[in-house]
Amino acid sequence: MSNNKKVNIFLLIIAVVLFIFLPRFLSGYMVRVITTIFMYAVIAQGMNIMSGYMGYLPFGNAMFFGIGAYVTAIGMSKGLPFLVVVPLAAITAILFSILLGLPVLRLRGHYFAIATIGMSAAILSVVKNATEITGGAMGTTLPIIDKDPSIVYNYFYLAMFGLMVITTLSLYFIIKSRFGFGIRSIKANEEAAISMGINTTYHKVVAWAISALFTSIAGALYAYWMSFIAPDEVFDVMIAVNTVVIMLIGGAGSILGPIIGAFIIELFAEVAWSAFLEYHLAALGIIIIIIVFFVPKGVSGTIADFIKRKKIRARKRVSI
Amino acid sequence: MGLQMLMNATLLGGLYALMGIGFSLQWGISGIINLSYGAMVVLGSYISLEFFNFFHIDPFISMIMSGAILFVIGAIIYRGLLQPFLKGGIVFTLILTFAVRLIVENIILKVWSADYRTIRLAYAGSNFQLGDVYIPLTKFLTFITAGILIYLTYLFMMNTKIGKGIQAVALDKEGAQAVGMDVEKMYMINFALGTALAGLTGSLWASIYSFSPHLLGPLVGKVFIIAILGGLGNIWGAAAGGLLLGFAETAGASFLGSQWQEAIGMVIMVSVLLWRPYGLMGKKFFG
Repeated sequence: MSNNKKVNIFLLIIAVVLFIFLPRFLSGYMVRVITTIFMYAVIAQGMNIMSGYMGYLPFGNAMFFGIGAYVTAIGMSKGLPFLVVVPLAAITAILFSILLGLPVLRLRGHYFAIATIGMSAAILSVVKNATEITGGAMGTTLPIIDKDPSIVYNYFYLAMFGLMVITTLSLYFIIKSRFGFGIRSIKANEEAAISMGINTTYHKVVAWAISALFTSIAGALYAYWMSFIAPDEVFDVMIAVNTVVIMLIGGAGSILGPIIGAFIIELFAEVAWSAFLEYHLAALGIIIIIIVFFVPKGVSGTIADFIKRKKIRARKRVSI
Repeated sequence: MGLQMLMNATLLGGLYALMGIGFSLQWGISGIINLSYGAMVVLGSYISLEFFNFFHIDPFISMIMSGAILFVIGAIIYRGLLQPFLKGGIVFTLILTFAVRLIVENIILKVWSADYRTIRLAYAGSNFQLGDVYIPLTKFLTFITAGILIYLTYLFMMNTKIGKGIQAVALDKEGAQAVGMDVEKMYMINFALGTALAGLTGSLWASIYSFSPHLLGPLVGKVFIIAILGGLGNIWGAAAGGLLLGFAETAGASFLGSQWQEAIGMVIMVSVLLWRPYGLMGKKFFG
């Protein structure tokens, strides 16, 4: 078993090294596509900790993406350097998640999901209307890095990749920790968790703050990368929808699931955009239905099931 | 001025009330948050548009057709897509109904394009006066029709065998099953009834306002607010919620500016969720 684990870690390190050197062999366009994939993987991990592990679906999580993007845009327009602005964006998002989370996380199931959608829509409309600060519905620009575009895109590729690796590793250690068992117990049975003496409010709020942290940093990087953001784009419900689909196909409640899902969905979206230009919405809708029907546990869940079944079969053979 | 505003709010609220009831029934009784609800409303508008363009049928008559068509569509969606995944939890129903929305949106864009459409009725310009208050005729007719439809829905739920069955299922699923009721059929009829109400609303909407695929998202936001305000699965609650939203939007638009309309609605919804999660009307009506 431990030998198996060592092999897995070794394979993962090889994959990381491969991804670091990958941009050298790819066109600028593909580098951008893969950067987007990393970004979605980060947002999906933020969704994963809440929904996959804790059983609370934060359908309005795009608000932290938007907050991250807008704090970065506003901060940089005031002349602050990017590396100062990112922590500011993260802190703002965490503050929002705690202030909103304390009341809203009392709600369960449907009600929580709907309340987060409502808050996201409310924040969107504030951002749209506070024209003096945010630039309003027309959007706002960020300073452009004065270097060759291909070098800049490589920077963002590596930054987004780094963020994804850090996010995934942190999630791994969080889930293995005492705190992680706490949030998983909430998914299993919240009443039982309370009666076991787990401070569920604390666990839920901290989990959402962690989710907000990852999502907002992805938003901050996105804003600097695009150098132009508009409210309808960074607070878009579609971000949350894509993220849920990614989490589902990868396998909710697994560490590598969101990364696998992000690759499958985004690469498919690239194909769909070029092949069915006029039908890409319907294509996405049909893909969602197919995924839900045929791999409801996601790729990683299905593979795990397959392995389990194989093992059981092997054990039966021995007993006979 | 004040009275005129009150009248506008009431007329708008009547339509919202009808729109909210279908969503509220689907959520409260069948347990499905139907993100494709806005798409169903707009689809109803386009069905009426086609009947108007080809056969010159008034939306007030063709709404029966759009209601019937959407009833069938709703039944198919429930049986084919949603029923197998009800046990999978909220993630599945949300994402599946969103997939339906995407497909319908794509169909609408392809068939009717993204332009705003209107149905120009011959009597659209006429209005009458009540004291100092002007009442446009079409809006008045819409309000009355919406009221009648809400009352019919109520009568259906209270007096027919199927309606009583739906209530029974909402009250106690296991109990209903134990006395030999086809629970899944009741859920399906309830869901289809909800989409039919969406279609009816769409036809009425088409007789007074212009419509386009851009409405899909905002309409879902509105029905969320109405359903939460009224309490889920509660017909009169949703009706009151619709009127309340009509008032909140009209008042908000004139005091703060129309760009804050959406934010006002959302803030009201989240507040109600936190303080009165069963809606302003108190307990659930069914169950």
